[in-house]
Amino acid sequence: MDSPQTSNPEAPLDRHELPRAYIIRSQRERMMEAMVRMSAAKGYEATTVADVIEYAGVSRDTFDEMFGSKEDCFLAAYDAVFDVLVAHVTAAFEAASGEPWPEKIAAGLGALVELLAMEADIARMAMVEATAVGDDARERYRAMFTRFTPFLEEGRTYSGQGEELPADTARFAVGGAASMIFDEVRAGRGPELKRILPDLVFAVLMPYLGSEGAEDEMRRVTREGG
Amino acid sequence: MGKQAASKAQAGAEGASRTRSAEARPVSPKLELVDSPKRTRILEGMLEAVGTGGYEATSVRTVLDRTGLYRQAFYDNFADKDACYLAALELGIARLEAAAARGAASEESWRGKLRGGLGALLDHLDAEPDLGRGVIVGVHSAGAKALERRAEAMKRAADFIDLARQGAGEPETPPSIAPEGIVAGIHAIVHSRLSTGASGGFRGLLPEFMYFAVLPYFGAEAASAEMQAARI
Repeated sequence: MDSPQTSNPEAPLDRHELPRAYIIRSQRERMMEAMVRMSAAKGYEATTVADVIEYAGVSRDTFDEMFGSKEDCFLAAYDAVFDVLVAHVTAAFEAASGEPWPEKIAAGLGALVELLAMEADIARMAMVEATAVGDDARERYRAMFTRFTPFLEEGRTYSGQGEELPADTARFAVGGAASMIFDEVRAGRGPELKRILPDLVFAVLMPYLGSEGAEDEMRRVTREGG
Repeated sequence: MGKQAASKAQAGAEGASRTRSAEARPVSPKLELVDSPKRTRILEGMLEAVGTGGYEATSVRTVLDRTGLYRQAFYDNFADKDACYLAALELGIARLEAAAARGAASEESWRGKLRGGLGALLDHLDAEPDLGRGVIVGVHSAGAKALERRAEAMKRAADFIDLARQGAGEPETPPSIAPEGIVAGIHAIVHSRLSTGASGGFRGLLPEFMYFAVLPYFGAEAASAEMQAARI
């Protein structure tokens, strides 16, 4: 290990000399990516472990070492995908922190839609296949809504209605938007997802601001988009 | 099958979906006209099995065990599990719609109909949560055709809600996406509860559902009043 080659950071590394932890991480990531691609292309049910290891270029033993089952692999991939989505939306929301709440929401939704439109497989996997997999995946699908809740709950203060709004308002808002995205992705219109951004903005803001307030923001987004 | 149960208010959206669902079924049309008790038992058994164990875990065997019928009875009626679920889904949707239509029938106004219809739908879920789960959660695991049925049913619900535009009073005119957003949001709350295995408490959601549905058409004051009224 203390040969001059490995200690020189400029020298190209031979694959065999990569730290084992790095190889494991990248194998794991390759399998997770393979799961995203395969389940988006064929559907989760039709996807087999054989598909995943072939796409990832790893052995069955490697798969079994890291994942207990196909579902296990799917869930790990789903968690990773979701972390990326949440981080992306959070960054956009926070970048707009000086703006009024409706514009922060529009910025967060814009970032979400942009990422999903670019990554059709991720959209398919996160929005459509995840609801098909089983109880654990559905639990995560629910949990993902909860991660967006804090952004929405600012709307209680902004609207001046506070606790007078129904308890499930955030779930109604996120669930409604998620369902509209689901329909587009299901119908194969994922890549054109940006088209429904104004609708999504309306659906999320409406329960907090009513139709008129939500429509103002919807118009603003439409103007900027066009 | 089951389409006769759809409410008058939803009649507009019926024509198209009827044609499509007739094409989708692989079983001979002769058998479909017969609403045999065995066929219905199988369909109910399928919804319950999916509602309790999930779609993947449900097999033809599971359904037969629940119904106490022989294999032959199943294959006389359905080509396979997927075809059976699709028919069961249609039955389940038709029953939910029929319950809503009955609940709405005695009311005159849009708001009254909505309150009565939604209330009856939620009562139905409280009474038969497994059947509800078999329809609302199960549909996501059953493939593209099943998801089309879901989309059609949600469209019918949105069309009903949008009748508010012609209602008495002075409705505001929300953008055309409003009814779809309302249905999607309400659906998300119901789906989320069903998918965690909740089996009750659905009726208690009526006040907030009324708030969300009334808000874009009649404004915050009317929505709050409606929420209060529905709590009683």
